[in-house]
Amino acid sequence: MLDQAVFYSLTILTLASALAVVLHRNTVHSSLFLGLSLAGVAGLYASLGADFLFGAQIMVYVSGIAVLVIFVVMLLGRASDLHLRQVNERWMAALLVCFVAAVGLFKVARLQSNIVATGAAHPGTHDIGRLFLGEWLLPFELTSLILLAALLGAVFFTRTENAQ
Amino acid sequence: MNAPLTLAHYMTVAGLLFLIGIFGALTRRNIIGILMSIELMFNAANINLAAFDRFLHPDGVTGQALALFVMTVAAAEIVVGLALLLAIYRGTDTVYAEDFNLLKG
Repeated sequence: MLDQAVFYSLTILTLASALAVVLHRNTVHSSLFLGLSLAGVAGLYASLGADFLFGAQIMVYVSGIAVLVIFVVMLLGRASDLHLRQVNERWMAALLVCFVAAVGLFKVARLQSNIVATGAAHPGTHDIGRLFLGEWLLPFELTSLILLAALLGAVFFTRTENAQ
Repeated sequence: MNAPLTLAHYMTVAGLLFLIGIFGALTRRNIIGILMSIELMFNAANINLAAFDRFLHPDGVTGQALALFVMTVAAAEIVVGLALLLAIYRGTDTVYAEDFNLLKG
C-alpha cells in the first residue's frame, strides 16, 4: 500500500511539473518546474531501489543542469518575453504526433502488465563500481573524453572573439 | 489503487513524460524551452532503464549503469547546447527558434 502511495504521488509530482515546464509562459518559472520534475524522477529511482542513480540524479540534474538552465534563462531573458506567445502555431500537428506515439507506447506498456518485482531491492552502488572498473572500463573511460569535448566546446563557443 | 505495481506502471509514467517532452520540443518557441523538453525525454528513457533493471533483471545493475551513461551524455549535451545558444544570441539577439535563419539562402 505504501509503495503504491509513494509511486502515485511521485508520478503526479513529476508529470504535473513536466506539463508546467512545457506549457508555462514564463521561462524562469518553467525552468524552476524543470528542477521539481527532475527531483520527482529522482524519487521514482529511489522507489525502484536504484540508490546510486537517485544520488546522481540529484547531483547532476537537480543541482547541475537545472541550475545551469536557470542561469542561462536569467542571462538571456527579456521582460517583453512575458507577453509573447511561447507556443508556435503548429501545436495541433505536434499533438497528433504525440497521439500516434502514445498509441504505440501504451500498446507496448500493456504487454508488460503482468510483470511484478521479485524480491527486495538491494543497494547497487558496489556492483555499479565493479561493473564500471571491470567489464565496462573502456566505455567508462570514453565518457571522460565526451565530457572533455563538451567542456572544450562550451569554452570555444562562448569566447567572444569566436562569436563574429 | 491497491493493485501491485507492475513494469507497465513505470513504462506508462515514462511514456507520458516522453510524450510531454516531445510536445514541448515540437511546440516551444523559446530554444531554452526546447532544451528543457529534451532533458525531460532523456529522463523518461532513464526511468525505463531503471525499471527494466528492477523488474526484469533484479540481480544485476546493467540498466542503472546504462542510465548513468545517458546522464553523462545528457549533461554534455545541455552544456554544449547552452553554449551554442549564448553564441547565437550574441549574433542574432533573439532566443526564438523561428528567428534562427542565418543559413537560409
